[in-house]
Amino acid sequence: MTAFVQILPVDLSAIGREHIGLAVIGYSVVFLSLFLLFLVFSIIPKFLTRNLRKKFHKEGGEEKAAFTGNMIQGEVSAAIATAISLYLEELHDEETAILTIKKVGKSYSPWNSKIYNVINFNRFQR
Amino acid sequence: MEGFVRFFEHSAFVNVTPGHLLMILVGLIFIYLAIRYEYKPLLLVPIGFGILIGNTPFAEHAGLHLGIYEEGSVMSYLYMGVLKGIFPPLIFLGIGAMTDFSPLISNPKLMLLGAAAQLGIFLTYIGAISLGFTNPESASIGIIGGADGPTAIFLSSKLAPHLIGSIAIAAYSYMALLPLIQPPIMRLLTTKKERRIKMKPPRSVSKLEKILFPVVALLLTGFIAPGSLPLLGMLFLGNLLKESMVTKRLADTAKNSMIDMVTIILGLTIGASTQATTFLTQESLRIFILGTTAFMLSTAGGVLFAKIMNLFLSTENRINPLIGAAGVSAVPDSALVVQIEGLKADPENHLIMHAMAPNIAGVIGSAVAAGIMMSYLL
Repeated sequence: MTAFVQILPVDLSAIGREHIGLAVIGYSVVFLSLFLLFLVFSIIPKFLTRNLRKKFHKEGGEEKAAFTGNMIQGEVSAAIATAISLYLEELHDEETAILTIKKVGKSYSPWNSKIYNVINFNRFQR
Repeated sequence: MEGFVRFFEHSAFVNVTPGHLLMILVGLIFIYLAIRYEYKPLLLVPIGFGILIGNTPFAEHAGLHLGIYEEGSVMSYLYMGVLKGIFPPLIFLGIGAMTDFSPLISNPKLMLLGAAAQLGIFLTYIGAISLGFTNPESASIGIIGGADGPTAIFLSSKLAPHLIGSIAIAAYSYMALLPLIQPPIMRLLTTKKERRIKMKPPRSVSKLEKILFPVVALLLTGFIAPGSLPLLGMLFLGNLLKESMVTKRLADTAKNSMIDMVTIILGLTIGASTQATTFLTQESLRIFILGTTAFMLSTAGGVLFAKIMNLFLSTENRINPLIGAAGVSAVPDSALVVQIEGLKADPENHLIMHAMAPNIAGVIGSAVAAGIMMSYLL
């Protein structure tokens, strides 16, 4: 216990108002900045789809078709993305980088014997 | 003969201390964990090897200019990039070029989880004050709770450069140990029913949204916390390089060669900075204890906030509270932990895509927290 107190000599009186203030303000500001980002990126897609709808109206198409075009299901997108990624980037698999030269042993056969090959043909004619 | 004696005096056998041997053991454990269990190998191998380099005993201040803390040594020049806060922003550039912000853009409410999970930073800051650390030191220790190595190094290089070694080692060790630290807290704070919640699949995100995100996010966060600009500026630049599709070469360099080079030097020098003579102190032990607490509190903050959000969301929009744990910004490790825990509760429930959103928001959140601390305390 004494060793623990030596390593962690907790003194709560050291915590002042300014420390708690910094912690509270800091945490709030982190929240604020991400909350603002959340707000902006909740609104942006609405604007974008509204513009898309307008554009489609002008072209005389069906509004619903344009809308669904932008709302592909996540699984479908993931499958398409994976397929494209595999095709474009992973055509060449990671290799072991171990090069081996394999000695090919040939057992004798008259079918692959050198003395019967084409180069020797003239010799036999002579 | 005199030369031989001098040579012998400079050798490790004369200068070795139990501290050196202990630190060499720590370095070997890091290398073992990285190679045997693949715990963050890209970081733990250079850090572990750096610990070996930094703790091979030699006669300090004998004019050999070997130690990282000796002026004029090669290691001290490399360490300059850490001390001056150059490496962390470069790493953020690479992270930005690697990261896809789509999960975050498609479900922006998950950004709030990234903010909630910064709870550990601020509570640990207060805890460090109560343990007798100074204000800047406490802020640097607290940032470990952000679970973001580069951010922790960046802030401590500005506020408490003498603690960089301990803080960086604590941050990276705990990041490697996330699969052990987080699950008990996640299970403790959630019911089995909550862990089984299936979330709606994320919608597809348009290219325009992806391009707008880094620009808008930079301006928003930069205006609120300018102290975070070196980190977030580089993060969002990297992401714009990737998403614009016109700077593919730059994005490739940022996310491959450049980040690899910086990671090697950063890991090596951080490891070497743990020289037994300066590292093995009670202070370091306290930092390690506070670091664990910070990670636990941040995890709890994210999970609890997810549960609070569920009180206000309709049934079909409810979120699985496990993903709150991914709000600590260890990308993508904490998201992977969430995926594994989700699968344990329901083998058909894949949470990784959803968990990536708070995970990325956590990176932004911890960088903003660092910016706030810096502007308050510098």
